Amino acid sequence: MTQHETQDDRRSAADNGLQAEFVERWRDAAYNCYSSGHKFCREVCPVMQVTRDEAHTPTAFHANIVAMEMGHLSVEDVARDYVHCTQCGACELRCPNTLFTGDFYRFRTRTVEVVRAMRALAVDSGVEQEGWKRWVELTDRSRSEPVMGDIEVSQDHVADWARGLDIPIGGETLLFCDCEGAFFRTSTPRAAARILKVAGVEFGLMQEQWCCGGPAAEMGYVEKARSFAEHNIADWRSVGAKRIIVFDPHDYITFTEDYPRYFGDDFDFEIVLMVELVAELVRDGKLELSRPVEKTVTYHDACRLNKRKGIHEAPREILRAIPGLTFKDVDHVTQWSYCSGAGAGLGIERPDLTAEISRRRIERAAELEVDALVSACVWSERPLSEQGGKRAEPIEVLDLLELVAQSAGLDDEKVGS
Amino acid sequence: MTSVMLSDPVVGELVSIVGRDRLFTDPAARFNRARVPAPFPVHRWAEHIPDAVVLPVSAQEVSEVVKLANRHRIPVVPRAGGTGLTDGAVPLKHGIVIDIKLMNKVFELDLEDRTVTVGPGINMLKLNEELRKHDVIYPDDPASYPCSLVGGRIGTSGWSLIGGRYGHTRDLVISFEMVLPTGEIVRVGDGGGKKVRKSSSGYQLKHLFMGHQGTLGIVTEATLELVPRPEAEFAAFFSYEDYESAWRSTGTLARSGLATLAGVVLFDEWKLRYLRRDDEAYIPQPDSVRAVVAVAMYGVADEVRPAAKRIMRIGKDTGGSYLGDEISQGDWASRHDRYATPLHGRLPDRQVAPMSWHCEDASINWSQLPKVREKWHALVSDLIARHPIFDDWGMFAYTNGAYKPWGDYLTEIDVGIWEQELDDESWEAWVNCKRDIAAVALEHGGSMSACHGSCRAGEVDLVPDELGGGFEIMKKIKKALDPNNIMNPGKYLLDRAYEDAGETP
Repeated sequence: MTQHETQDDRRSAADNGLQAEFVERWRDAAYNCYSSGHKFCREVCPVMQVTRDEAHTPTAFHANIVAMEMGHLSVEDVARDYVHCTQCGACELRCPNTLFTGDFYRFRTRTVEVVRAMRALAVDSGVEQEGWKRWVELTDRSRSEPVMGDIEVSQDHVADWARGLDIPIGGETLLFCDCEGAFFRTSTPRAAARILKVAGVEFGLMQEQWCCGGPAAEMGYVEKARSFAEHNIADWRSVGAKRIIVFDPHDYITFTEDYPRYFGDDFDFEIVLMVELVAELVRDGKLELSRPVEKTVTYHDACRLNKRKGIHEAPREILRAIPGLTFKDVDHVTQWSYCSGAGAGLGIERPDLTAEISRRRIERAAELEVDALVSACVWSERPLSEQGGKRAEPIEVLDLLELVAQSAGLDDEKVGS
Repeated sequence: MTSVMLSDPVVGELVSIVGRDRLFTDPAARFNRARVPAPFPVHRWAEHIPDAVVLPVSAQEVSEVVKLANRHRIPVVPRAGGTGLTDGAVPLKHGIVIDIKLMNKVFELDLEDRTVTVGPGINMLKLNEELRKHDVIYPDDPASYPCSLVGGRIGTSGWSLIGGRYGHTRDLVISFEMVLPTGEIVRVGDGGGKKVRKSSSGYQLKHLFMGHQGTLGIVTEATLELVPRPEAEFAAFFSYEDYESAWRSTGTLARSGLATLAGVVLFDEWKLRYLRRDDEAYIPQPDSVRAVVAVAMYGVADEVRPAAKRIMRIGKDTGGSYLGDEISQGDWASRHDRYATPLHGRLPDRQVAPMSWHCEDASINWSQLPKVREKWHALVSDLIARHPIFDDWGMFAYTNGAYKPWGDYLTEIDVGIWEQELDDESWEAWVNCKRDIAAVALEHGGSMSACHGSCRAGEVDLVPDELGGGFEIMKKIKKALDPNNIMNPGKYLLDRAYEDAGETP
């Protein structure tokens, strides 16, 4: 067994310049966590709640950097541990440094960024995860994510979801359809499109939509992600688009955080989140929710909305506006520790963990004695549905937009799955 | 370095006990289980790396691993949350870390006899999320409430912020199952069945296995007390113009005899200065505010409401000014998070430096608090004058008794340390300072630790002085239960139990 005496060897093997640069960039932020030692982030972490492995904690994600600076660990030693994160952001919110003194010092614990940076360092250092590598290669080949399961993904079919809806190409406002929505849960983009039409919002589709690139960036393939971004932006510009509507929270993060980082001030598009737009349309009387939906539901706070963007009120406002619906709410702070486990590629490398995180989320819903769990994140809906369907008393998983369409009387034929 | 190398056959045996998935020998798994938030010489991190880590899921697995270690004379270090403020979970002599975090199940909830039986890897906040549905709680409430685990609470004999009302860990854990250093599985409690709170049968072994810092075995299951979920909470923060008035007021409040009184906390002038560096709760307070006293009460509304009036009257009669509902309710609600942040660290030239929070705690009688306070601050000032990487973050004193919150106080001085800059010389100075801090506590009739344990470098040297003949009994017990000194060796000077006979394993 290799033991303590090998540390110096490890230091020289790993020191390819990239790691030193990475450590220099993150050392002080990492030390702010290391020195605190509160570890309050752990029990809200959806992955840690399942694995109970200290190496999968936000504390370890920061401490490793301190150890790397001292030459104890290298990117090869830790890369696999950083797979164990959904980039949900709960740990950042629960960090006392963020909660109580962050404003004053203009400091926020940025574990999600640390995880992304470490994954990028791993890829750049040639330490790749097989599942992610294949996923990104396939995305590169077919321009859309391969999505999971036996589904044909190609540019020939990227707009199949919109068949029969008569949506034009181009225009000032575009609806960007996430890959999972385009190829798997097509009922969600169809609901989105029909809602926009009935509310009188003019919009079109891209000429040739590619993956947003967000998942590749989350897995560490930054250059690849950027090339997708460049294509999409060029497509937006070529049709004169100024406003992009997204229904998927992952796209929302990519367009509001990654794209501005890639393109700086040149990125001058307005990004509109569908749930916020729907809440506004309902509020302004432009979208009438008049058909009662006789169901008892609870709402799953999508991590990237609730924890990453602080958006938790709009979806609740919409649910409360649906007649007939019994809405059993769980507050958004309690939901810091909830997740579907689907984010940031966890389901590709550790499908067992995604399934278990989803199972626990579904059990939380079941305790409330509801018929359905409503989500506003299309990526969460597949693992949650799988677990909901496995129960003796199944729990249905609905997308908020599907529910809105139903209440607005916008019936649609079943499409896709 | 006295490293025990795990030979490959041992790894094979570990795999046969816990399986390949729950045995870790990779460097990251081991480095991340080498430290706790106690003062840590970062520059000597590599000296405390375990050789292997296992995550067992049952008492049987723990027992098998311990028996294996005992057979091969390999050190075993139990690890729960790894959030302790003494070095209990630091593997001083390498060996196998038994990390019990996966043992976090709730086995039985008994609402009739008011107990819950759990695995030691469960966290109190998580447990209470389950219990609140049944209108009961497990009221063990340390500063580490959101992250520490039941097993670690037993290993350190923890203290609870609301112990004046509900008791501390030793009072709240009714009984538990332990794996002894030779691998036997036993149950210890006050006597009788696992849900009996009071018995006169036999030796009171529960206390023996409470606060042993992992030197006598590993807890694998615990039966805990349940109390009605409090329907009313009341918190009041009072300010004073000088420490002495605040100290006198603290004593009067604590002695009030109100059954719902859960705790009284005294903040000294240094603590206020530290919080004022940037804390929004204290910046707006006038300069005349030099000390603060916080009071908290829990219980049924019929008792708490009238008692709250009494508290307000005592606070005012003893010179306090009420700081208002926002600070009182807000600061109390954020009591686990607010008071120690590395971002508040300052060098003597007032530059911000990221510092670790280190809390030296002691049990001090109320009458001795002012003298201990003066001496402790003087010791830390002297340290800072010689080594500017340290910073005085002030003192708290908390009521320390269970159910009767008067008499002695958990007294802490918080010291910021810029650990990145530590070297052998400054570490040595710190260890000496800690020993001096502990000596002051003993001089004034106190104990050198109310809640963390006394096995850190420095103060540990004084344990034989503090315990008198008790330390000789500790050594005998240690040797009797752990003949090969495998269970967390190097802690509490217990290696001496074996050195005396010239038979150090």
